[in-house]
Amino acid sequence: MVVQEPGLAPAALLLGGAALAAIAVGWRSELLGLGRSRFGLRLLGGLALGAVLLLPAAARSGAMPMLPAGLAFAAIAVSIGEEIAFRGVLYAVLEEVGGAPLAILGSTLLWTLAHVLSHPPAFLGAVAAAGLLLALWRWACKDLVGPIIGHVIADLAL
Amino acid sequence: MKRGAILAVAAAIYLLAAWMVAPGFYDGFGPPQAYNWTCPPPQAGANIKPKSGHLEIKVINGKSDANSAFTDDGQIVIGFLPGAFDTTGRTTITVDITPLATCPQPPGLKFVTNVYQITASAPLVTPANLEMLYSNLEPQPDDVYRADDPEGAWHSIGHASTAPPFTIITTTTKLGYFAAGYKQSSPASGAVVVGGGQVLPIIVAILIVVVVLAGLPLAMMRRRRSSGDKLDGDEP
Repeated sequence: MVVQEPGLAPAALLLGGAALAAIAVGWRSELLGLGRSRFGLRLLGGLALGAVLLLPAAARSGAMPMLPAGLAFAAIAVSIGEEIAFRGVLYAVLEEVGGAPLAILGSTLLWTLAHVLSHPPAFLGAVAAAGLLLALWRWACKDLVGPIIGHVIADLAL
Repeated sequence: MKRGAILAVAAAIYLLAAWMVAPGFYDGFGPPQAYNWTCPPPQAGANIKPKSGHLEIKVINGKSDANSAFTDDGQIVIGFLPGAFDTTGRTTITVDITPLATCPQPPGLKFVTNVYQITASAPLVTPANLEMLYSNLEPQPDDVYRADDPEGAWHSIGHASTAPPFTIITTTTKLGYFAAGYKQSSPASGAVVVGGGQVLPIIVAILIVVVVLAGLPLAMMRRRRSSGDKLDGDEP
């Protein structure tokens, strides 16, 4: 349907983001790293992650890529959905099965594989490295708010 | 402290990995492939020159067949309906698409794609459908423009209301030179206009300043309270 009606692409992405986020239904927010304690630190962590994710592009050039308005909302939805699915639910499941190492490496691997179809091979190294950084943040701070904010900032900009 | 060091190493690995590809980490909201530029913008990084395209259309029962010509990198596609060409005295029609080796920027217009020349061995008699990809490194174009001479006058040939992301579609009744862009007197519409100039480094600098200014007092308060090193202390 999206191929026949390309204008539906942003709506389809919004729906996809919501579907990914729906995976978290039934999970305690603390288990997903979405606790509300020290929210200021979580928020700042997200801004710091956003700065790190954008730093290579900012250092390379001052010009910022442009995202069509319709896709901006889709980018926010997909970023949140991906974080909840990969660094939230998947991470929690893998951590329960095999501890933090499996959760970090497994969620990074599956996150990278999930981008194989949408990204040229040359970009997968950066995608994997970003996934590893976000998963390590999730492990080190037991926090998902930071990765969500950092991911949204990066997706809106790039 | 150990966790902080591991995070710092992960950040360094990311910076190295993202530095090797332009524009860095992105999550698939850009075009499906990097745009091949005739004149790459500074932020484009490694660039491959744009490709050309060639098509031979059969003439069947005096009518040219339906077909599409496109460049090998798919950056421009032109589709022809049956009978699109005047086939008088011909058995085939050849169509060629060639990226212009230069990047003309006519007064008052800003092109965000390469300029392509499309020629055919017979005159076009019905409108052809034209699709052009554009890059996320430039603002979204408002229209496709056409000219008979790249150094001459350029005229808007409009755009369709719906198109896949990073694609602009229109129809043309004449071949010639084509590029997508916008009028420089007004900013490009439909894009999140947060960019241009040095905005991205400024955004990153602001993020860093906010993190440092707000983070230091928070870290000092946290140290005073000495309440553990995790954000969710109540987690299992």
